[in-house]
Amino acid sequence: MFWYTFLGYFLFTYLTYGVQASVEGYISPSDNKKFLSVLIKSLSGDNVDLSGIYNGVIGLKLLNEQIGSEIAKKNCEYIQKSFKDDEDPEIIFHVFTAWSKLGCSGKIHKEDTLKFLRNVLTKEKSSLSDLRFSVEALKAVGENAPNPAKISQLLQSKLKEDDSLQSLGHALHASVHLGSHGKFALDRVEDIVVQLDEVNGKLLQWEGGLSTTSLLLTGLLNLEGIKPLTQIQADKIANYLLTRKTVQTSKGIVVLLEAIKALTSSSVSPVSIGVIGKPSVSIEKPELKVRVSDLLGSPLKPVPGPVVAVSATRVVDDVVVLSKKPLSAGSGPTEFTLPLLLDPDHYQIVLSAGSHTVNLHVRVLGPVNIKSFEIGLADVDGTSGTQLTKLDFPNKLTKGLQADSSHLLISKFSLSRSVHQTFLRLHSPKKEIIFIAEVDSNKLYKIEVNINSEFTYSGVFDMELILGDPVMSNPIKWNLGKIDINLGKTEPELKSTKGPKPEIKHLFRQAEKRPSTTVSLLFSILTAAPLLLLLILWLKIGLNFSNFSVISLPFHLGFGSILCLFLCFWLKLDMFTTCAWLIPLGIFTFLSGHKVLSKIANSKKSEKKD
Amino acid sequence: MKFPVLLSIFCIFIVKSTAQFRTLVLLDNQVIRETHSIFFRSLIDRGYSLTYKVADDSTLVLSKYGEALYDNLIVFAPSVEEFGGVLNVDTLTQFIDDGGNVLIAGSSVTGDVLRELASECGFEVDEEGAYVIDHLNYDVSDEGEHTKLVVDNENLIDSSVILGQPRQKIAPLIYEGTGLLADTENQLVLPLITGHSTSYSYIPGQKIKEYPHAVGKDTLLVAGLQARNNARVIFSGSLSFFSDEFFTASVQKAANGQQYEKSGNQDVAIALSQWVFKEHGQLRVKSVNHHKAGESKPPSEYTIMDNAVYNIEVEILNGGKWEPFVANDIQLEFVRIDPFIRTILKKTQNGSYEAKFKIPDVYGVYQFKVDYDRVGYTRLYSTTQVSVRPLQHTQYERFIFSAYPYYTGGFSMMIGVFLFSFVFLHFKDEDKKSKSD
Repeated sequence: MFWYTFLGYFLFTYLTYGVQASVEGYISPSDNKKFLSVLIKSLSGDNVDLSGIYNGVIGLKLLNEQIGSEIAKKNCEYIQKSFKDDEDPEIIFHVFTAWSKLGCSGKIHKEDTLKFLRNVLTKEKSSLSDLRFSVEALKAVGENAPNPAKISQLLQSKLKEDDSLQSLGHALHASVHLGSHGKFALDRVEDIVVQLDEVNGKLLQWEGGLSTTSLLLTGLLNLEGIKPLTQIQADKIANYLLTRKTVQTSKGIVVLLEAIKALTSSSVSPVSIGVIGKPSVSIEKPELKVRVSDLLGSPLKPVPGPVVAVSATRVVDDVVVLSKKPLSAGSGPTEFTLPLLLDPDHYQIVLSAGSHTVNLHVRVLGPVNIKSFEIGLADVDGTSGTQLTKLDFPNKLTKGLQADSSHLLISKFSLSRSVHQTFLRLHSPKKEIIFIAEVDSNKLYKIEVNINSEFTYSGVFDMELILGDPVMSNPIKWNLGKIDINLGKTEPELKSTKGPKPEIKHLFRQAEKRPSTTVSLLFSILTAAPLLLLLILWLKIGLNFSNFSVISLPFHLGFGSILCLFLCFWLKLDMFTTCAWLIPLGIFTFLSGHKVLSKIANSKKSEKKD
Repeated sequence: MKFPVLLSIFCIFIVKSTAQFRTLVLLDNQVIRETHSIFFRSLIDRGYSLTYKVADDSTLVLSKYGEALYDNLIVFAPSVEEFGGVLNVDTLTQFIDDGGNVLIAGSSVTGDVLRELASECGFEVDEEGAYVIDHLNYDVSDEGEHTKLVVDNENLIDSSVILGQPRQKIAPLIYEGTGLLADTENQLVLPLITGHSTSYSYIPGQKIKEYPHAVGKDTLLVAGLQARNNARVIFSGSLSFFSDEFFTASVQKAANGQQYEKSGNQDVAIALSQWVFKEHGQLRVKSVNHHKAGESKPPSEYTIMDNAVYNIEVEILNGGKWEPFVANDIQLEFVRIDPFIRTILKKTQNGSYEAKFKIPDVYGVYQFKVDYDRVGYTRLYSTTQVSVRPLQHTQYERFIFSAYPYYTGGFSMMIGVFLFSFVFLHFKDEDKKSKSD
């Protein structure tokens, strides 16, 4: 034991010194497939353009894919049709390159275009990217740039004005074609490398993203006679490039592939060591397949040395379980296998291929068996004994449990080894409650649920045991049966403020019950009777109106109309109109009544005198 | 002379047209901009102007001279411990209070400032290092800790407004990140994506000693909030949920699951961004009209038991245009402190709704109230106050049969008085005459 720990420590210190790390990812065949579909779309899609064709052609070349003659012909025609001579040098470069790579027949370049390009190279106003693409466009049709010394001077003076990363990148690319006059670029290398940004300690990139990083990287690695990057830097840049595998545009794919190709063909080509498929093996299939390749997934040249598992330690207690075991060659030149005949657990494996090492986190999976399982109810106060039913996986309780507030739900089980997730889940359509098993010193799992404190409402629940672990090959979800919890309270419906509310209809006040029509008719007759009686009696007696004179007619008219006004008030008039009518009528009636009364009084007086 | 005028008009137009789409994107580092390019590209394609900043940039400001500089905020900076510039939890809360929309993505290393912001919004982020683990629903590409979950579409919120399509049509999602918790009684919080029953949030590799913060279906993966001012916030426990890698990944459950060519992440992430930035589910009232049956203009007041007609036109924002909103569950309430009447508004034509009802027999000051609050939509709230008065005396029933005795009594009295006054004044007594004779 001590020896192993010591060995592990020794290995660890050994590994951290003087050994080169490696990257884990690489451009896998499935990535290539994705790239391919995007690139083909840029060649044969609906909205093709000149730059798209260039990217498609270059991308397919980088992937070593053939371009169908049909597509090539179509694109050649398109280029011929839409290429105008005096566009910017970048487009010209794209067109020239695409033309030659597609193998189109004839010449696309005219003397005018070339003259235009040569002109750009002499102008003070041309930008760095114009200069670069002019040089490269001329190169693409087999022409050398005229007067490299002049161009070199131009580039340098431009760099003095603007030494952004983009400009530097273009200058680097241009300088490659200037022969000995391009030497000025070497002075800039250190400056560029210093500007690398580190992200999370794992990635290195130049600010500006993939296109800038690729531009500078390909520029630097194209320079002859220097070794601009260290292996660690190259690895970190590779890590960055591999995070960008998800690029969606044909341009992005081309710059990514160019950068990766430049890295792999350089002297600091990162070694990619990774697990093929999942980083886990099972007891039945213990072979761990490891891939050792360059970034593009091809075998390393030269072969760095034998692939050896330097050590394997268990993560929990750092015990070394395996050391210095060579890997056997697998089915391909990049594939190696390592049989891991170990107990299910997490392991840290240090692999080395020559001077390159990598730390791999590997899991050995194995099944977990339920050795025993019991479930049942007990009284909280412990008066009556617990009744536990034994169950075998995957059987269910034949009879559901009947529990009330005085019960404890108890479950005990033991497993062939300890696992991370040991949950007992009680669920009804609306509710889900999960309990976690505790493990005691005898590795016995126990769940104790106090029904009274954990539940508020009655309900029928399904019980389910969930067992899971990262190194468990058979995660278990076991339906145990039902439990009926009776607490005398049913759960009230949860009201939601979202969603339609119940309708409300207003209840109008009911009309009071009225007496029957016969009664009211009878009483109407009764109330009318005195008047009728009066009239009848008067008729019987006979009335003598000889006191009547025309002078009293206005009073009776007035009085009568006041009464008629009251009738109208009852029928439809309101108070104000009634009053407005009443005032003149009242005054008129008052005056005429006064007149009648005074006349009567006078006639009475004269009678008395008589 | 003319040119500057035209230019200024043009400028105003530009400001107006991009007004809703000014978005600040806060990142942990610039690489995120590239690893999440599909997501950002979709925003740019929809007309957003994105301003990328590193989250601890010291020049960060959200408003200048009291004017908000941005309408939306994306925080893709899970590990940030403190924002730069004037940004902190208070200014961000203020931003939400002022109606700004925020999309936040955390991860298993969510920083303190995001935790505080989350708790301001009603979510709780699990402790540092915790992942949502599910030993039964993980993807084949999982690294071994079973933290790369496959989330079935039944775990999505059942709202096609938020998801942009019925959830049954969405392919399974991939999720890798921490778990969130929310109070289930908080009506403003929406559980947009939840974990499976078998999932739990814990630190992988650590023995479960305490009850995990989030277990089973209570584990929220992505949670949303629509505040009372209709500002929207989405908090995702996973930043990689929005990444190009997850967008383009194929999905297959490790336990003999069906393989899907492409995960549903892109569909869902883009739909969520459309929802959170209010491209979806934004309602407004176009017009309200009410009148008595048979009339067309609102009266100065209603009388009890009138027949009232209420019309409302509702619109929804769709692709930047206001279009008629079609629903069959908009309700009208007629409220005097408590609602007296609550009735479904019937659709008369697209986006136009009508209710006809009899005003209650209780007078007072009432409100016509439409309060439409549904999952995924902004809250539609419109009140119109009207007064309802009792009957005038002329409006009562006039000829009640049971009251005929009263009528006959009254009128016989009047006739009697009239006749009696006539008789009394003009009667000539024969006997008196004979006496005087």
